[in-house]
Amino acid sequence: MEITFWGVRGSIPSPGPGTVRYGGNTPCVSVTLAGGEPIMFDCGTGARNFGNALMSTPFGKGQGQMTVVLSHAQWDHIQGFPFFRPFYIPGNRFTVVGARSAAELQTVLEGQMAAQYFPVQTYRNMASAIELVGALDKDRIAIGTATLRACPILGGPPGAAGYRLQDGKKAIAYVGHGSPLSGTHAEIQELCRDVDLLIHECSFTPEDSSRYPTRQLSSLDQTLETAIGSGAKKLALVHYDQDYTDGEVDALVARARAAVTDRGSKLEVMGAAEGLILKV
Amino acid sequence: MKVRFWGVRGSLPVPGSSTVRYGGNTSCVEVLSDAGTRVIVDAGTGIRFLGKEIVREAQSAGKKIGSTYILISHTHWDHIQGLPFFSPLYNPEARLQIFARKRDDVRLRTVLAMQADTPYFPIPFHETRASIDFGELPDEATFPIAELNIATARLNHPYVATAYAISGDGCKVVYVSDTAPFEKILFGEEFIAKAPGADVELPIGDRNQLSAMRSSLVRLCEGADLVDYDTMFTDNDYKILPHFGHSRPMDAIDICREAGVSKLALFHHAPERSDDEVDAMLETARKLARTVAPNLTICAAYEGLQLPLGGSR
Repeated sequence: MEITFWGVRGSIPSPGPGTVRYGGNTPCVSVTLAGGEPIMFDCGTGARNFGNALMSTPFGKGQGQMTVVLSHAQWDHIQGFPFFRPFYIPGNRFTVVGARSAAELQTVLEGQMAAQYFPVQTYRNMASAIELVGALDKDRIAIGTATLRACPILGGPPGAAGYRLQDGKKAIAYVGHGSPLSGTHAEIQELCRDVDLLIHECSFTPEDSSRYPTRQLSSLDQTLETAIGSGAKKLALVHYDQDYTDGEVDALVARARAAVTDRGSKLEVMGAAEGLILKV
Repeated sequence: MKVRFWGVRGSLPVPGSSTVRYGGNTSCVEVLSDAGTRVIVDAGTGIRFLGKEIVREAQSAGKKIGSTYILISHTHWDHIQGLPFFSPLYNPEARLQIFARKRDDVRLRTVLAMQADTPYFPIPFHETRASIDFGELPDEATFPIAELNIATARLNHPYVATAYAISGDGCKVVYVSDTAPFEKILFGEEFIAKAPGADVELPIGDRNQLSAMRSSLVRLCEGADLVDYDTMFTDNDYKILPHFGHSRPMDAIDICREAGVSKLALFHHAPERSDDEVDAMLETARKLARTVAPNLTICAAYEGLQLPLGGSR
């Protein structure tokens, strides 16, 4: 599997000179399976750049097929949806997975695309074929040689789920939105059990986290709890607070590494940045 | 009077190294009168930073946050998406008055509140702490905000947008975003899937309506010190996408010339436009204006740009 990070910022895009290195686009991570099938996790503003890059592939000619997985429906994870150009090319086929049911997912997308907010008015006016699947409708979803499994996030936003993508012996997990409770949540740890790569929301330090209790986000402590508890081999931090400068993200990553060493864990930690490509 | 740009981008925020100079935040412009009346036009992501500034300013002056007026051109995402991140919204001492065009199908409060609904946002609109009033306006409204006078005109944009003229302190600034030129398509409620063919003749009723809309806009801009104008499109963009509802610099220059405007700020830059490309558009616009509107000064708006108008400094 090859993983590319297109957006790693949380809550709201944060343009400016202070965020150029890690990037200010909201979450979007693409995965290409060994068999070549593409998958997109989350559709923040990073999805716009991913979509533009796809225009020189079969997606530009209406011959693309992709599964799009939405970790939850907060704006920063869907606001790139109307700006993903392959959605507008007739012939392309998409399966969008998210929310608790297909009906709920449809309500989310139609609310976003409604005439008062966006000129396209309904996602059905996008020319490609888009099928909606509720994340918790099915036990497992097959994508090429891989399987996708979802697990609800305890204490997270309504409909939020973590995902495991298993392709043969290799596995990654994507937790786009944890919660103050998710770190020690047994089912999430089980979902992420021994994955080669865990991509996990880590919005801020524990001190900053306690300043924003209503935001239901993970602090470094919860993220590490899930990562170390699940036995993940590698952890990529994403979803940095919108006010964090590149220097502050550097400090967050350094602190994560120090905490991992303190706990005697072999977990490898990296701070994901826009443009980072990882192979599993 | 002072005008300050907090977000100058259209469609969606575009972080990255190629947009650092002009800025990647979506539309938000602040107008501050000499007496301190603050009017904000549009609530794109730029308003997040203005909100912090308002809180900081009040704290350092040891004062309450007080009244802020927000004029919304239309409720497409890039013009409202910063509102949930505007910190005065969560301050019980803040008073906000939010204005936008009245619609028959949906109330302004509903449109803004839905943005904060579950599951889109963690803090519902009814849990905001500021006292908020909503003003719904007819197509051509005039009304006072403190010592300032506000006037509006209808723009040619999908789902309809509103231009605002703000007058006071002996000067006038006009915000014209978003709008298409007043030709080819009369925008209304329906979705327009593709550009009309070159041979398609616009019905006479539509042409008359566009012409009247254009005249109203010229009147609104009459003698303005500054006009911020949606110039998202190059000539080529407009050829391909006339049905997207945006203008070229030449359209803005035409209106400004007819209205005797002193200064034009190119605004609502396209998300794909790099800093160098905005520079190039500005250069082209200035060249064009030298022949057709020699008295017009042109700049390209960037985040942080402050323009004092009239005698203010």
